[in-house]
Amino acid sequence: MTRAPELNTPRTGTDVGDTLHPRTAEAKLDEVFSFRELARLDEALTMSSRETGLRFTLYVGELRAPTRAHAEELHARSGHHPTDAVLLAVSPGQRVVEVVTGAGAARRLPDRACALAVLSMTSAFGSGDLVGGIVNGLRQLSDQAGHPAGLRPH
Amino acid sequence: MTVAETLLVYAGIPLAIVLVLALLTLRPGADRRPRYKPGQPWNYAPVWYEPHPAATGGHGPAPAHGPAAVPGSGTAALGSSMYPEQPGERALESGHGVGPAVGTGSGGAHGGATAARLPHPAGPLGGARGTW
Repeated sequence: MTRAPELNTPRTGTDVGDTLHPRTAEAKLDEVFSFRELARLDEALTMSSRETGLRFTLYVGELRAPTRAHAEELHARSGHHPTDAVLLAVSPGQRVVEVVTGAGAARRLPDRACALAVLSMTSAFGSGDLVGGIVNGLRQLSDQAGHPAGLRPH
Repeated sequence: MTVAETLLVYAGIPLAIVLVLALLTLRPGADRRPRYKPGQPWNYAPVWYEPHPAATGGHGPAPAHGPAAVPGSGTAALGSSMYPEQPGERALESGHGVGPAVGTGSGGAHGGATAARLPHPAGPLGGARGTW
């Protein structure tokens, strides 16, 4: 239960390339979520990141005691430009969800919008639906962040 | 048609079909996992998921992701897990880190211990917190 989260970088949900990119620490890929749930999470993360231009990452696991500080520390390591990163940290054991937005992302995702998404997530988590809550929260966050003009396709 | 044949055709065959269907539906699922219930301990190692690498690069091919795209082709590695992002890319990037965060807004209230370890200060952080 108290395994230290020594994750240095996030990974994609359907990153199964064990032959090309060996990961010794991970014994079973679908230990936490089934492959179908992983595909849903992966699609939600990828689509919301692509639509908004922000970088959404999702952490599921134990958070150290000041959960906010740990989530912010993870957020700082979440990619090349943490300014435009949004971290969803869910700790089902502690029943805590944290949303951390960088300075650039916070301009498009005000704290009120994050709180609303967190509210819908916690109501789903409370009924035991982890993946559904995460997917809905991501959808709500990306809807709020909108589609920047620079990313408009045609 | 003898009695035995009649029994075999009109009772045996339907019974066999029913048994096969019952076995198919009632057998324990091979990949059945315990459903999460609030209040249970979470005994899994932490996982951290990220979007696919070309996700934030707009709709064209992402030029910056060397290993994330098929070499020699202009195709973006959208949704491809064949060439995952290498950890070395981030290590390179963190070499020339920016200085400590200037703006200490809502995020700077958590003390210097956290801020000293940040490889990439992202300015004043926002967000929300919830429990259930």
